[in-house]
Amino acid sequence: MKKVMIGNHAVAWGARLARVEVISAYPITPQTQIVEKLSEMCADGTLPARFIKVESEHSAMAACIGASATGARTFTASSSHGLLYMHEMLHWAAGARHPIVMADVNRALGPGWNIWTDQNDSLSQRDTGWVQLYCETNQEVLDTTVMAFKLAETLSLPVMLMLDGFYLSHTAEPVDIPDQELVDRFLPSRAAPTKLDVEDPHSFGALVRPDSYMEMRWLQQEAMREVPRLLDAIEVDWQRMFGRRYGAVESYRAEDAELLLVTSGTVTSTARSVIDARRAAGEAIGLVKVKMFRPFPTAQLRAALAGVPRVAVLDRNISPGHGGIFAEELRSALYDLPDGQRPEVHGFVLGLGGRDITPAVIDDVIARARQGAPSGREDIWVGVDP
Amino acid sequence: MSSPVAEQPARGIPPVAISNTSTLVNRTGSWKYIQPAYHDRVAPCNQGCPVGIDIEGYMNLLREDRVDDARALLLAENPMPAVTGRVCHHPCESACNRRALDGAVAIHAVERMLGDLPDGAPALATNATPRHEKVAVVGSGPAGLACAYHLARFGYAVTVFEAAEQAGGMLRLGIPEYRLPRDVLDRDIDRIVAQGVRIRCGERVDTASAWSELAAEFSAVCVATGAHTSRSLGLRGEHLPGVRPGLAFLRDVNAGARPALGDRVVVVGGGNTAMDCARAALRLGAAVTVAYRRTRDEMPAITEEVEDARREGAEFVFLANPEEFTERDGCVSGVVCERMTLGEPDGSGRRRPVPTGELFTIAADSVLTAIGEAAELPGFPFVIEHTTSGLPVNGVGRTSRAPFFAGGDVTTLERTVADALGAGKRAAIGIDRHLRALTGEPRLDVNAERTRYGVGNMSALRWLGLDPVRRVDPVNTVVGVDDLNLHQFARAARHDDAHLAPDAALAAGFAEANGGLTTAEAMHEATRCLNCGVCTECDVCLIFCPDAAITRAAGGGYAIAMDYCKGCGVCAAECPRGAITMTQDRP
Repeated sequence: MKKVMIGNHAVAWGARLARVEVISAYPITPQTQIVEKLSEMCADGTLPARFIKVESEHSAMAACIGASATGARTFTASSSHGLLYMHEMLHWAAGARHPIVMADVNRALGPGWNIWTDQNDSLSQRDTGWVQLYCETNQEVLDTTVMAFKLAETLSLPVMLMLDGFYLSHTAEPVDIPDQELVDRFLPSRAAPTKLDVEDPHSFGALVRPDSYMEMRWLQQEAMREVPRLLDAIEVDWQRMFGRRYGAVESYRAEDAELLLVTSGTVTSTARSVIDARRAAGEAIGLVKVKMFRPFPTAQLRAALAGVPRVAVLDRNISPGHGGIFAEELRSALYDLPDGQRPEVHGFVLGLGGRDITPAVIDDVIARARQGAPSGREDIWVGVDP
Repeated sequence: MSSPVAEQPARGIPPVAISNTSTLVNRTGSWKYIQPAYHDRVAPCNQGCPVGIDIEGYMNLLREDRVDDARALLLAENPMPAVTGRVCHHPCESACNRRALDGAVAIHAVERMLGDLPDGAPALATNATPRHEKVAVVGSGPAGLACAYHLARFGYAVTVFEAAEQAGGMLRLGIPEYRLPRDVLDRDIDRIVAQGVRIRCGERVDTASAWSELAAEFSAVCVATGAHTSRSLGLRGEHLPGVRPGLAFLRDVNAGARPALGDRVVVVGGGNTAMDCARAALRLGAAVTVAYRRTRDEMPAITEEVEDARREGAEFVFLANPEEFTERDGCVSGVVCERMTLGEPDGSGRRRPVPTGELFTIAADSVLTAIGEAAELPGFPFVIEHTTSGLPVNGVGRTSRAPFFAGGDVTTLERTVADALGAGKRAAIGIDRHLRALTGEPRLDVNAERTRYGVGNMSALRWLGLDPVRRVDPVNTVVGVDDLNLHQFARAARHDDAHLAPDAALAAGFAEANGGLTTAEAMHEATRCLNCGVCTECDVCLIFCPDAAITRAAGGGYAIAMDYCKGCGVCAAECPRGAITMTQDRP
């Protein structure tokens, strides 16, 4: 069944189709409609889940952790400062290996106060141990929400999926709602390997000495290493049942390209239209969309980019004092490619705080990448006078 | 799909930090220095009820949709719920903790609904064996009927002597039908008669020989003759035609008469009799002015009655103290009043009216005086302590001379229907205790907490040891609003009675003016009850206990595992109704 819906409602539908059992969330613009929709679904009985109201995002994540510890399928959503307020609990959720799924509506951080999109909120949480998946369309948002539970519960890792504030969260598109019976077959109910049981009480998360602590971090890292292979397997299943797949990394019209754009989120769609026009004009330009940022898809990106002369990374984020975060990580991933295989990496910082990234802006990026200096120099801020 | 990656309990450690052993070995209860006490306490409505009804108890039963059980619990303490649901001044609602949230529970309306349910009333709980003693009750007002009702279920043969042709006392003689329809009153009385009470109407006990015969024939006598003598103002012109005691006027009206009052009626007084006179006179077509020597705040009448009188068109002249009645053509023509001002509080706590010397006249074709009634005991031959305001009695209704007990307006107690019903019950308990002591049984301590809700009135069920409500370790302390966790309750507006519009009420004459609540509204009103102090098994404590030390107990309620309770107090803080308190006591 297709419905025209905004991205926030696509998230809510995804959580509903996944039959989440506990939701604890605190509203924040531009995420609020996710919480509203889910609370409506809980209230009208279409989603038989417990909705726990809390006074802050920190408590929301704490409640999710408690709920997940009992074996319940658990969901939350946040954005911007709300996500940052969860920071301590994000580490706890990951360290305790709770397969919580969260939607983060990407929104810039204040001050200056700003409700529009950029990726600094989620990217500043990159080291918390959560899988991070960036979505491009409302359909991808819905599909990813369901798939995220499969990924999370199989590996006991929390998963965060991102959608751009307003560009997706508040923009309506036709979205196919998968059949519930099929989704149930795809995603059976959760079977937690360990859970709270008042009949057999144990201590969770108590003191662990250095020897065991590091072993646990190793196991967490091992699980992260499994993500690319498992995500791929999950998407194969999803495609077989519902006809769609996305890929941790997607190459678009990348064949024989002399320049590839590297994008994430909704900028990808804009870039696709620019690429189509350029290809029509005979230019050898394509793009690589990075959906999965954690774990970082080093192997996939090396495969996609090796031998391409130039790469232009579009970063809707900034690590102050360094540069665009996708560009940084990409340079690191490509560093030990042999000479001749390693592309020039041109980093572009743009679109912060919701500044529009139009086709003209991308044209500008392409022009400057073509005439640009060798890789390694400081990223270019697009649309800002130096 | 490809095989999921299994959790590997590799490397000899679990993937998450989880203890190898059960944490039950860690008896964290030893850390605590305060601990929770889980017990039922007393709701303020129960303490505030002069009748001694377990109001919280029947509200809880209604919440569970157990209507018959609720009615049984109510009737166990109050023989006249249809009456009190209409005319009681409901101090329960003044005490209701829900006032702090969104308005008191409309307890009176719920009681009225239960009282009005068609019969098929459940049998009255009792465990008493029939007694051989006979008891006489003189007077069939609420005090006398309550005394007879409870004595009958205690096993006694009870005979009620009533001077009037029909039972009911002041309920029938004094209260107009628009407040208390007579079929409603009759049904409540029928229920009392059905308990085996014999009522002999038209038998006045007002001679020495009559009293002596009673004392000889019966093992105990309850004096419940009421207060029927209107107090005189002692003013010039008080004996003019057109000036008459309000109570006499009401008696006529209640007997079906429609006396001619003229166009302008002045009612003197500020109590319930005055309000009844005013509203009855309005229904007879008169323009009514109420003259009261203090102000609205000091009026002893029930608030709703004052409001209804005002809505129906009665004028109020406050700080007006009648000085004399003027005459024209041999009849009264007006009331000369002195303007008063309020001074210091008097013995009743109300501010005393102080004369100003300013005089004014209110024109009147009739004057109804209603400044109070006196109790008289004509012909009573025995030496018995009494005062100008009635017979003093002890906590169980005993006068200075056994076997005479008393209750209601003839005593020095509060003169309300509810107080009369409660006093009648106390006298019944007093008589039962007295007669059992005469046959060698131990005299039970009636002041023991087991007979009362808080320091409220006695419970007949508790006197019988028959409290049907499962109470957890009951403690006789009253729960105040500060003991509650109001955040746990959703707001829900109070349902208001369906009063007739003033015009319609007057047009309806003496038909009932207050339609009360529908059954559905009353049932919803019962769900507004906060069940102060009484566990309703809402699971809040169980959910909030961070130590999982609270579990559902077999047979209902909760068990707290003190070996593991760390004494954090979260359960007590979160309990919506104050049924858990923290204490330093060791179990």
